[in-house]
Amino acid sequence: MMERAMEQLNVHLSRLTRSLRRARTVELPEDNETAVYTLMPMVMADQHRSVSELLLNSKFDVNYAFGRVKRSLLHIAANCGSVECLVLLLKRGANPNYQDISGCTPLHLAARNGQKKCMGKLLEYNADVNICNNEGLTAIHWLAVNGRTELLHDLVQHVTNVDVEDAMGQTALHVACQNGHKTTVLCLLDSGADINRPNVSGATPLYFACSHGQRDTAQILLSRGAKYIADKNGITPLDLCVQGGYGETCEILIQHHGRLFQTLIQMTQNDDIKENMLRQVMEHVSQQSDSHYQRILTSLAEVATTNGHKLLSLSSSYEAQMKSLLRIVRIFCHVFRLGPSSPNNGNDMGYNGNKTPRSQVFKMCVRQMDVETIQKDGCSWTGSPFLDPLELLWHSLDEWLVLISTELDRNRKNPSSSSTSSSEIASLLLKQREVDHSGSTPKLPSSLDRQIVMETEAYADGEDVISMTASRLSAVIQAFYMCCSCQMPQGMTSPRFIEFVCKHDEVLKCFVTRNPKIIFNHFHFLLECPELMSRFMHIIKGQPFKDRCEWFYEHLLAGQPDSDMVHRPVNENDILLIHRDSIFRSSCEMVSKSTNEKLKQGIAVRFHGEEGMGQGVVREWFDILSNEIINPDYALFTQSADGTTFQPNSNSSVNPDHLNYFQFAGQILGLALYHRQLVNIYFTRSFYKHILGIPVNYQDVSSIDPEYAKNLQWILDNDISDLGLELTFSVETDVFGAMEEVPLKPGGISILVTQDNKAEYVQLVTELRMTRAIQPQINAFLQGFHTFIPPSLIQLFDEYELELLLSGMPEIDVQDWCRNTEYTSGYDPQEPVIQWFWQVVRSLTQEERVLALQFVTGSSRVPHGGFAYLMGGSGLQKFTIAAVPYTSNLLPTSSTCINMLKLPEYPSQEVLRDRLLVALHCGSYGYTMA
Amino acid sequence: MSETYDFLFKFLVIGSAGTGKSCLLHQFIENKFKQDSNHTIGVEFGSRVVNVGGKTVKLQIWDTAGQERFRSVTRSYYRGAAGALLVYDITSRETYNALTNWLTDARTLASPNIVIILCGNKKDLDADREVTFLEASRFAQENELMFLETSALTGENVEEGFLKCARIILNKIDSGELDPERMGSGIQYGDASLRQLRQPRGNTTQNKQQCNC
Repeated sequence: MMERAMEQLNVHLSRLTRSLRRARTVELPEDNETAVYTLMPMVMADQHRSVSELLLNSKFDVNYAFGRVKRSLLHIAANCGSVECLVLLLKRGANPNYQDISGCTPLHLAARNGQKKCMGKLLEYNADVNICNNEGLTAIHWLAVNGRTELLHDLVQHVTNVDVEDAMGQTALHVACQNGHKTTVLCLLDSGADINRPNVSGATPLYFACSHGQRDTAQILLSRGAKYIADKNGITPLDLCVQGGYGETCEILIQHHGRLFQTLIQMTQNDDIKENMLRQVMEHVSQQSDSHYQRILTSLAEVATTNGHKLLSLSSSYEAQMKSLLRIVRIFCHVFRLGPSSPNNGNDMGYNGNKTPRSQVFKMCVRQMDVETIQKDGCSWTGSPFLDPLELLWHSLDEWLVLISTELDRNRKNPSSSSTSSSEIASLLLKQREVDHSGSTPKLPSSLDRQIVMETEAYADGEDVISMTASRLSAVIQAFYMCCSCQMPQGMTSPRFIEFVCKHDEVLKCFVTRNPKIIFNHFHFLLECPELMSRFMHIIKGQPFKDRCEWFYEHLLAGQPDSDMVHRPVNENDILLIHRDSIFRSSCEMVSKSTNEKLKQGIAVRFHGEEGMGQGVVREWFDILSNEIINPDYALFTQSADGTTFQPNSNSSVNPDHLNYFQFAGQILGLALYHRQLVNIYFTRSFYKHILGIPVNYQDVSSIDPEYAKNLQWILDNDISDLGLELTFSVETDVFGAMEEVPLKPGGISILVTQDNKAEYVQLVTELRMTRAIQPQINAFLQGFHTFIPPSLIQLFDEYELELLLSGMPEIDVQDWCRNTEYTSGYDPQEPVIQWFWQVVRSLTQEERVLALQFVTGSSRVPHGGFAYLMGGSGLQKFTIAAVPYTSNLLPTSSTCINMLKLPEYPSQEVLRDRLLVALHCGSYGYTMA
Repeated sequence: MSETYDFLFKFLVIGSAGTGKSCLLHQFIENKFKQDSNHTIGVEFGSRVVNVGGKTVKLQIWDTAGQERFRSVTRSYYRGAAGALLVYDITSRETYNALTNWLTDARTLASPNIVIILCGNKKDLDADREVTFLEASRFAQENELMFLETSALTGENVEEGFLKCARIILNKIDSGELDPERMGSGIQYGDASLRQLRQPRGNTTQNKQQCNC
């Protein structure tokens, strides 16, 4: 009894000692669930001795599955690469093909994690390599996904079907191709994998390789004879390459299937393909060799030509063909500008860094040659064979324009021919039609093949060819301009194009007059070429302000690389650090330290000693800085007679740095406009004209000297022949206390002002007072302004609009306006016409109200303190409405110097509204003396 | 995505005003007669994929205006055409007399190899006939043209005209007389030609050289 107790104690003790020495339990618990969690960490660490010891006398079931995914210890060992434990478990009868809840065997896990030794042992113990998990994946799929070629090589000998499919019909080859594991792909192919095997959606290994741009893999497949097969939706490997922008892979496809080149070219017509991807691909292919470059350009030119011709077919969809043509031409120009790859670089695939500079040099040579050729021949590109197909299109364009010119002549010669009246109506209708047409984006089914939409029936015997073809021809002209420009160094307008515009001047003007939208849609060349722009300026100015604003900013920001990226991280060094107490000087310093390019990209301002940053601070900076610019202490600007507007001070030279400051002021104003920030300055009308380069007139004088302006007005209004004024073309001025006779023009002192030349006199005197006196200041200001705003762009606006652009739309309080309005010539506030007028004003948009205010007062601003303080030519002058007898079609007029609206006694609110709007939109700028 | 075809041929339809060019095209593409057809302005476009001798061919057809005022515009579309339908009106001798001019235009401006089929249209108006079948077929023979009398109204011979023209071009390609790879041939390979025409590029040039011998 005692002995047995002792013995038990000894066993217990020795077990305790062993346990303590090993720092673990030495006997497996009875139940499998507890036991397995004891063993698992040991298996993971491959502590095979301990495991072996524990298993020795236990009844543990080695196939016991546990955990959420129901794996056995063999799974654990295989997964972790615990090869000794794995063998131990196998020896103890673990089932090598035991599948967990997802159907994975230990072999799957070993394959997935690349446990080479475990795989070997599992195979020794007859693990089945062909078992699929629940997704249909086998061990070779796992190896293929991860590119474990060596293991695959061992395993594949045991595989009965190397093309075993997963649930999606994907074989190991598919997944290897998708991931671009070259050696794995080779190994699978060598083991007899089916190179053209489609998965359930019809995708082949080549398709997979292309979908991920695996160039080398595609190369291997193609050189082993892979077929070029589309999937069940008709999507081809080439489509995938283009969608992904995989130029290298495309190139490989084309190398093996030469015909795909044409397919690639045809893709430029497909609206669904992203243009940048396509361009990327074309770029790559074109840079393979000289002949690639030429072939791409020639083919693109051919497609462009066909598209251009289709666009000129009246039955085609304008919208679709126009987009297609311009897209192709854009790609063409892009490739053309790249220049051919340098000849000894052909096999290099363009990877090395040296390539760019070299081809750049080559490109420059070509450019130089082109320019010379053009200059020599006037208008032909003898050196560029790939432009040849496009010449057909340009030829057609030319013929079309000649034809239209003939039509114009014909219309002009017999304006009263029998058909005129009816055809005029027809042409009006057609014009309407054309507008509807281009506006509503006809979504014709793209299966244009079996269908030819002959709309011509509806057209009246081709009478108005012009309105039917104008937008189509304009789009082709745009394409022509793009092609001409891409042959020229940046910023130069092609002589050929200029010649073209000159030749077809009349027709182009006719197009634009009929449908001015064309300018915005297609005649982009105007902005890049001032000499051409001036021809169309009057038409451009007639376009809605809003459209011109959009156009302005579109072109202003066009050159900026990241103009669409609003939130760019700000470089600490680029922050303008401004001192509030010396805002003018510190701003001047900071801006001059920065570069124009940086300032264009974005402005970040921080006030010294303050935390704040961001748009709000920028806005504040512009606001207070603009106030400082007109601070009388600097003597840069003087207040005009009306007290709210400013213009350069002719005596600003009291400040020795004044011209630098003017340049700075110009920069700030330009910068503000560039970034759509408003400034808190209003300039005189004449100074806005100076910014725009518009000549001033005598009425502008009233802003600095209203009395004198009246006198000039008087001279113009009255016959001066018999007054004996004895004026000459000169003025007396006070130069440092001495009176001096300054001639207005050479020899002016001895030229008398007469009734015949008085207008010239008034103009010259005006220029003297308004411009010549402050010419250096204006020049300095403009120098700064033009660093951010090109003169050609600002020309789009008149002086009133420039004010709105720079200083923003003022808020107009209609109630205040109404309260401070007087009525004369028979009107009183109870008059229906007056009631209607205010109702109409209330219904106007803010912009239209400003136009109305400008229309009557000549200024877009309400004075400080409201309408009660509205100024006229001589002191306070309230807004006044005067009655005018109504005759049909009579428009309202105004006398801006006395803030008077002459409102005809309209019969209804509708008529009043209609006439007022006509007057506002056509007549808020430009004066005629009424 | 894109339709498949072996070849694309550029075709012209030319001839005097009012001979029914647009109606022929409409009949060919839509299989019906175009009522109230007006004068074509400039050049119209249509296309159809046809099956000729086991090959699919996309015909890209430019239907030109017959009126004199559009002449210089339409001429600018001629170059690079592989085939042409030269159309006259059997009820108008005037349109028949103009054929020589149209023919010269086509051969000088398009390509000397252009395959032209002469179509005497408005066959249905036999009562008003001014041009006999015999004299027209003699004209065709002298000028190496194929000849058909067609009716855009009933559709008679319309399909045949286009298909015949396409077939001859295909024959010329097979014999090597026409080289689709040459620029301005008016012929392009389509997507589908990949599968049938797997021969290396060198072959075609070899064929051509043999012919030239």
